[in-house]
Amino acid sequence: MTDERKISIVLAGQGNTGKSAIFNFLTGLHQHLGNWAGKTIEKFEGTLFYKGYTVDVLDLPGIYSLTTYSVEEVISREYIINQKPDFVINIIDSTNLERNLIFTLQLLELECPIILVMNMIDLAKKKGITIDYQKFQSIINAPVVPTIASRGTGLTDIIDKAIELAEKKEEYKVPRYGKEIENCISELSINIKEINLPYPERWIAIKLLEKDNNIIKSVRENKPEILEKAKRLSENLEEIHGHDSSIVIADERSHLASQITREIVRITQNRKISLNDRLDAVTTHKITGYLVMILILGGMFLSVFSFGNWLSTWFDSIFQNWHGWWDINVGITFFASLGWAAIESVLALVQIALPYILPFYIILYLLEDWGYIARISFLMDNLMHKMGIHGKGCISFIIGFGCNVPGCLSCRIMESKRERFITAVLVTLIPCSAVSVIVFGLVGKYVGLLWALGLYIFAMIMVFIVGKISSKLLLGEPVELIMSMPDYKTPQLRTIIYQTWDALKEFIYIAAPIVVISGVVIQAINLAGWMPAISSFLSPVTVTWLGLPAITGILLIFGILRKELILVMLAAYLGTTNFSDMLSSQQMITLAVVSMFYIPCVATISVLWKEYGWKKALAICILEILFAILLAGIVKRILDFVF
Amino acid sequence: MIKKKDIASLTELKDGQTGIIISVAGGKMLTKRLADLGLTPGTEIMVLGGLLFSGPIQIEACGSKLVLGRGLASKIMVELR
Repeated sequence: MTDERKISIVLAGQGNTGKSAIFNFLTGLHQHLGNWAGKTIEKFEGTLFYKGYTVDVLDLPGIYSLTTYSVEEVISREYIINQKPDFVINIIDSTNLERNLIFTLQLLELECPIILVMNMIDLAKKKGITIDYQKFQSIINAPVVPTIASRGTGLTDIIDKAIELAEKKEEYKVPRYGKEIENCISELSINIKEINLPYPERWIAIKLLEKDNNIIKSVRENKPEILEKAKRLSENLEEIHGHDSSIVIADERSHLASQITREIVRITQNRKISLNDRLDAVTTHKITGYLVMILILGGMFLSVFSFGNWLSTWFDSIFQNWHGWWDINVGITFFASLGWAAIESVLALVQIALPYILPFYIILYLLEDWGYIARISFLMDNLMHKMGIHGKGCISFIIGFGCNVPGCLSCRIMESKRERFITAVLVTLIPCSAVSVIVFGLVGKYVGLLWALGLYIFAMIMVFIVGKISSKLLLGEPVELIMSMPDYKTPQLRTIIYQTWDALKEFIYIAAPIVVISGVVIQAINLAGWMPAISSFLSPVTVTWLGLPAITGILLIFGILRKELILVMLAAYLGTTNFSDMLSSQQMITLAVVSMFYIPCVATISVLWKEYGWKKALAICILEILFAILLAGIVKRILDFVF
Repeated sequence: MIKKKDIASLTELKDGQTGIIISVAGGKMLTKRLADLGLTPGTEIMVLGGLLFSGPIQIEACGSKLVLGRGLASKIMVELR
């Protein structure tokens, strides 16, 4: 009995229940991040060694239901059914019991062993909610463990319970619905018994009444007669209730959930208006809400950029001698130069990741853990709708100002493929911190700060126009915003650190290989002496159409690696940072406009490729190159009148 | 404008007003998505507030807060309390 005692558990629950906090607590450093087979959805797995047991923990995506609206829901459902984990740990937000219970009932229908974790009991207590756990346990017929994940309270009890139950197998009782529905279920179950599907019979019956496409398909392949019977029974239900049978079932769950809630929950005190309620009222108010948002986001950008600027200058001073050292010690051969190009790319990655992306993520996850991010989505929904996406897309935009790479990755929070894609395209047009180096270093410094700010406003107008156009071009219904508004809570350092670390790791995994490879390739082209040919090849565009010096052709090619290289290499070429020696104000603005839009940087392209396939990534690049050239040419001609 | 029998769409309610869901005038998917969040006919909903220029609205139902897009909220018919 000493070795190989294994238990597998999966964590399931809605968003904002503290699921990831529990996962992080249980698995700590023994985590690995992967992807669900063939999907771009992350799969979080980890291992816990506890009391002689090896506990494999899997964190399912945060979902609201187990019907098939989204890929995440199908993944979760199939995993529970096919992999048959020893326990499904259903994490419930105790302050939001009724809504969470609907999901619990769906889990129970799957007839898998469940442990219910009532999380955030401290917050529930603050709200004056008392829950009778004993009664809950006996109604639902599954163990209930109260926890406070943010403080780690009760979390080992979950595993203790799992170990205790693993040793004695118990029968699980499934929730019973109203009589008519139960009759339909049992009538169908008789026939379902005759076919061999990996799912519980009762669950198949429920899904047939809910008209679940996946299940209908599986049954049709086995015994199509059952479908006719299901159809007859569904129509029967529809006649009695007056809605679609799928809604009758959903209603039934929702009513059972509210009935159970009434039985086990007591609101003991009249809710006082707490500080958080007041804060909520101010931050979602139609006027003060926007003021607070501008203050918070403005403060965020200001602090990230000033910190980033400081740290990146510091890195510059450290790295500046390395190139010379390399040349002296390794030599100035073709391959040594390529080697240096690779090292330089890694250093560049460090210089963007640590000064800009890291603080950006920390503040972002702080705002999220606090509960503010949902308020931004609420406040911005209306404006975002005009671009064919809903309020949550605004979050990707905000991240995009820091760096387009995590901005594009964060588009996963959008529900439909169409919205995900539109959001990603728009994020690539948002001026990231590298572009802001150009805008402020060139236009801000030599033309005027107002011109630089004007360029930002110009970029936002362009994002809006492109959003408007792409929402018209890409067919499909815009998805409406449905989002639960979490209560404000004290942010937990632990959670923020874990989330920041995961996000940073992903950024490095995706961006690093492509950035290094393309750095080496472009350096090879340079060493081969092809650059002058390229710049004269590009001169009809750069010189004739845009009125820029021919050297910008080469700069723009290097800029694909990292946008700020346009400025860095220009300085190297001129041998001075006094750009006004070479460029007129008009040329600076034109160059800044081209740099803003002409192509996403390689790291961003690699994300687009990974998430949407190479065809779409290529299409975005080509369209943006054409768009930027056209736009900058027009800008140049307008500026001819100004200067 | 509140019609006869005091039935209105959710967007017509004033801040702080409460109503009981009568029906959802949307497709099956939408109705079901709402039902999975506990917003089924018979559920009490309180409107907490909207924004300027008719954006989404914030509501309270089943003991917690939700944000619903404008178009969606206008499809939810409620009987006034």
